[in-house]
Amino acid sequence: MIRRRTLLWGAALSAIGSVRGAHAAAPSRRRPRDLPFDWDGPRVAIVGGKVLVGDGTVVEGGTVELRGARIVRVGTGAPQAGADLVVDASGKVVTPGFIAAQSQVGLVEIEAERSTRDLGRDDEHPIRAAYDVAPAVHAGSSLVPVTAVEGVTTTVTVPRGGVIAGQGAVLDMVAWDHRGIVGRPRVVMVGSLGRAYAGSRAATLALVRRTLEDARFYLANRRAYDRRALRDLAAAPADLAALGPVLAGRMPLALSAHRASDILAAIELGRAFGLRVVVVGGAQAWQVADALAEAKVPVVLQPSHNLPGSIDHLGATMENAARLHAAGVEIGIAVLDEGHNVRNVTQEAGIAVAAGLPYDAAIRAMSGGLARIYGIDDAWGTLAEGKVANVAVWPDDPLELSSWPEAVFVHGRALPMESRQTRLRDRYLSRLRPGER
Amino acid sequence: MPRPLAFVGSHLVLAAALSACSKPGRTTTPPETRATPTPSPPTQTRPAPGPKVAFVGARVMTAAGVTYDRGVVLVERDRIVAVGSDVAIPPGTKVVDVAGKVITPGLIDTHSHIGVYPAPHFDAHQDGNEVVDPITPYARAEDAFWPQDPQIDRAREGGVTTMQILPGSANLIGGVSVVVRTVPGARSIHDVRFPGAPYGLKMACGENPKRVYGDKSGPDTRMGNIAGFRRAFQQAVEYRAAWERYEDELEAYERKEADGELEEDERPPEPPTRDFGLETLAKVLDGEILVHNHCYRADEMSIMLELAEEFGFHIRSFHHAVEAYKIADRLAAAETAASVWADWWGFKAEAFDSIRENAAMLEMVGARAIIHSDSPLGIQRLNQEAAKAMYAGRRAGIEVSEDRALRWITANPAWALGIDHEVGTLEPGKLADLVVWDASPFSVYAHVEQVYLGGELVYDRNRDENPHTDFETGLRPFELAPEGIAPKAGDGARPASTREATK
Repeated sequence: MIRRRTLLWGAALSAIGSVRGAHAAAPSRRRPRDLPFDWDGPRVAIVGGKVLVGDGTVVEGGTVELRGARIVRVGTGAPQAGADLVVDASGKVVTPGFIAAQSQVGLVEIEAERSTRDLGRDDEHPIRAAYDVAPAVHAGSSLVPVTAVEGVTTTVTVPRGGVIAGQGAVLDMVAWDHRGIVGRPRVVMVGSLGRAYAGSRAATLALVRRTLEDARFYLANRRAYDRRALRDLAAAPADLAALGPVLAGRMPLALSAHRASDILAAIELGRAFGLRVVVVGGAQAWQVADALAEAKVPVVLQPSHNLPGSIDHLGATMENAARLHAAGVEIGIAVLDEGHNVRNVTQEAGIAVAAGLPYDAAIRAMSGGLARIYGIDDAWGTLAEGKVANVAVWPDDPLELSSWPEAVFVHGRALPMESRQTRLRDRYLSRLRPGER
Repeated sequence: MPRPLAFVGSHLVLAAALSACSKPGRTTTPPETRATPTPSPPTQTRPAPGPKVAFVGARVMTAAGVTYDRGVVLVERDRIVAVGSDVAIPPGTKVVDVAGKVITPGLIDTHSHIGVYPAPHFDAHQDGNEVVDPITPYARAEDAFWPQDPQIDRAREGGVTTMQILPGSANLIGGVSVVVRTVPGARSIHDVRFPGAPYGLKMACGENPKRVYGDKSGPDTRMGNIAGFRRAFQQAVEYRAAWERYEDELEAYERKEADGELEEDERPPEPPTRDFGLETLAKVLDGEILVHNHCYRADEMSIMLELAEEFGFHIRSFHHAVEAYKIADRLAAAETAASVWADWWGFKAEAFDSIRENAAMLEMVGARAIIHSDSPLGIQRLNQEAAKAMYAGRRAGIEVSEDRALRWITANPAWALGIDHEVGTLEPGKLADLVVWDASPFSVYAHVEQVYLGGELVYDRNRDENPHTDFETGLRPFELAPEGIAPKAGDGARPASTREATK
């Protein structure tokens, strides 16, 4: 099955020809890992728009061609693959579907209603590394269309709780696609520094270190463990084993941390264990920007967060993103600890630009740059040949408050530009002014 | 710069002089007459002519139905004296060139907990909910307002000049709100009270009170919520009647005394026991204190309108009102405003039916829409929230002009707070609360460049130093660090606010 699809894909490519105009984005060299999407499907050509590729490049009057769930060409000129649907994007802006990082979309319907919430394991043990959000995701959630119609087609949905909460998944916002909504499970391990454990940041750090050491030890001595010949370990074997990809540097470890000392500790953890650490939140990150840049540790942050909500947040500023970027730190922009309003990530990006972040960097921080942070740039993040066909067409600047997408494609499918919210609106519009609608 | 950054100044005197008479519980007898909802303006007589400043060349958005593409705002002392495109500038007037900028009225938030839920979130500072009883009309936000909350500075930097500080929503009747101005350098509530503004009563429907009290004394259900309101207002009706009876008796006694007709053993009538909570509710019945009702659902808002009518009071504004669009016609008929968010939703069941077009649909049928924050982050960008709501409405085919949308964060909240004769629009006679923007306030890229509070410059984006509270004094990053500790300038990592300190 998989092989047949691959062959078809190859055939399609050779038939189309891979045209790379002078302005075309360099496609990812990495072959995407297998994804549960259709390779075949309608051909869509989005022509004439200003294409923000998501890696900083711009193609004026660009052509984006989709086939099934994949992008088959980004370049200029007439569609080369033939098209079942041509979208005239002249005068408009075409972007990759933006990515909402560190989100809870798919895990929660109504935050305060326990029965609608599946945000993570709530047992006593602070190390829950084996927890995987993918099976908890609900494709029929009202949040999925609400998010998608605003141009946010993809989320990195992560669990909450404990010190190591578990593993997040990539979701594509296809409502009711029970099989296809999880684009890729287990892409990131998430956790928290600060006073997450035993009321002490020092205790928290010690626990994280011990857990990583024990995970390494356990993975090297599984048989001894099975013979009950090992000392007590910091966590259950499944949780330690789940840290294998983190220790191997394949899976990023995203750690919430705000105080500069915790951020430095996160950097040091990464160095000591060879991890790909990502700092999340990072209120004081700008204060240690040089250390982050040197260690190539990215920061995923929410630009509007400028309040000293705790002593750990002293000096929080809307310029955080701009300062980190200026210092050479890779940043991601997100609406943190949210499900319902991750759609406002474009507003957050605008706020960062107003506070000094270059525009291109703000776009990257929700698309290509963000995908690199999470190691999912083989398939998501930019408009490039071979990537998942998540595309938004905007009337103009996607960061501006006046701008909503006119068309959104997820897995190459044109979404109905409706949500539960627009349906409610229309019910009452017709009630309040009968006869007009 | 037209005027130096000044702290407090004349506001303090005015506020102190006027606040005492409107402070509930200060008078020795309950109100005798049904007061008008809005007290008389604090300045009845014009002060002697003072220094004049003309802001010239900006796009002037008055929020009063007119926008001047290149307008003039003429200010004398703390008041606007003229607005237009052809304003004669008297000799001696200081002229401020604001060409290319945009001027709006100072922004007004009907719903904030700044000062009662300050940052940082110290346990010791959680002063917004008196969770001892579901009915606490005697509690007053002004008694808990911490003037050193750094969130006050952030709100001012976002163009907010006036905000209503409310008790929280744990209780059915949480207490009395206070309207404050974002005066820098305040030492107590006395420096920031809005002169002459009526107080508000915070009431809360729905999930919060029944969640907080469900396993205590109740209410445990929405039935209990409404029953609790009814009981409280019935007590207020009886309390007011007892005082009216007493005053009649006292009057009769005094008449007899004056006429020398007192019996030998006749004593003056005994006054009823004063109850500060019931006194507050009696003032609500008299229209002297305005009702601000946290209420999400259309059905509950409708029930509250009925309850208010039954007891003879008026709900000035529903707050949060996520489902206001479903009863926009009823709200218009009741002349009750709805203070709403642009897009918050889903955090609880009663917030599930939120739509982006809520404010625009209220506007469409002639109800009074307000964009409020209930958030120390949201209050910093009321303009952006109004923009989202305006554009959502337009996208749905509802005509919303920029002037109308601007009213959602200026004139309409001023009305809801009973201070629309003083602030909320750029019109002669009103306080010179002005925001100078470097672009349309409906753009995400717009910056607040300057904020004027009663004609005084209280924030200037282009200064190294702007006002900050005692709390942040000495706590701002690198402020007290020795040379060489702060991030290197090349990192782009030095905050404007510490430029001086690290020199």
